[in-house]
Amino acid sequence: MTLHHYLILAAVLFCVGLMGAFTRRNAIVVLFSVEIMLNAANLNFIAFWRYSDNPELLHGPMFTLFAIAVAAAEVAVGLALVIAVYRHFKTVDLESMNTLREE
Amino acid sequence: MNEVIAFWILSTVAVLGALVAVRKRNLIHGVFALLVFFAGLSGLFLLLLAEFIAAVQVLVYIGAVGVLLLFAIMLTERVAGDDDRRMTSRGWSWGLVAAVALFVVLLLPAIQELPPPEAAQAIDPSVKELGHKLMNPYVVTLEVLALLLTAALIGAVTAAQGVRMPKEEDSQE
Repeated sequence: MTLHHYLILAAVLFCVGLMGAFTRRNAIVVLFSVEIMLNAANLNFIAFWRYSDNPELLHGPMFTLFAIAVAAAEVAVGLALVIAVYRHFKTVDLESMNTLREE
Repeated sequence: MNEVIAFWILSTVAVLGALVAVRKRNLIHGVFALLVFFAGLSGLFLLLLAEFIAAVQVLVYIGAVGVLLLFAIMLTERVAGDDDRRMTSRGWSWGLVAAVALFVVLLLPAIQELPPPEAAQAIDPSVKELGHKLMNPYVVTLEVLALLLTAALIGAVTAAQGVRMPKEEDSQE
């Protein structure tokens, strides 16, 4: 297995997540598409660390660890916002949240 | 050889899980597919010898984020999603084109530009070393992260609780 295999896999996963975020209308699905993209980035960090010149510095795992923590915070706040929006609009459909749109 | 087989199995699991998660109409099924994706990714981290990150992935994503997503879906509408409304957004084909174009035009050439990597060295990843690093050069980051998590906790509770209008409270009293 070379670095390129992992990078291409991460790119595929990132694009799958991007596709989900672009094409679905449910706010929760968009949130977990963003999660898929974040995980693809984490895979890149770990892959670059594994194939780097001095892995003993542990830059990759450190960054991934912090990214996971920030992603967890993001999910918690994001879902709370989705629930708040649901309470207001009675829907999680992104296309019906068009209050700011010009009529 | 075993590593190659494991890589292909795990990457297939991860890609299929992600695809099902973003394409499934039933949200609960989608979340379970997402959990499969997280598990596959955790296996890939193990394959890359990042065992601690693999454990964190299972704990945080499969454990916490999965349950959180399930609860959020239960608290909002249309759990099964078995209505006949469109599940894709307006102009979704452009989103598909953009995602494929990003992969083909930007990411794939960028990856192919990279010099062929030398053989991976044997590395000795120890959780002990990670802990030392967390305490010595990264201690400020760790503290800031703790602050961020606290702020996120308070923010999430406040946002999900909803704002009570003072007028309503007055009228109830």
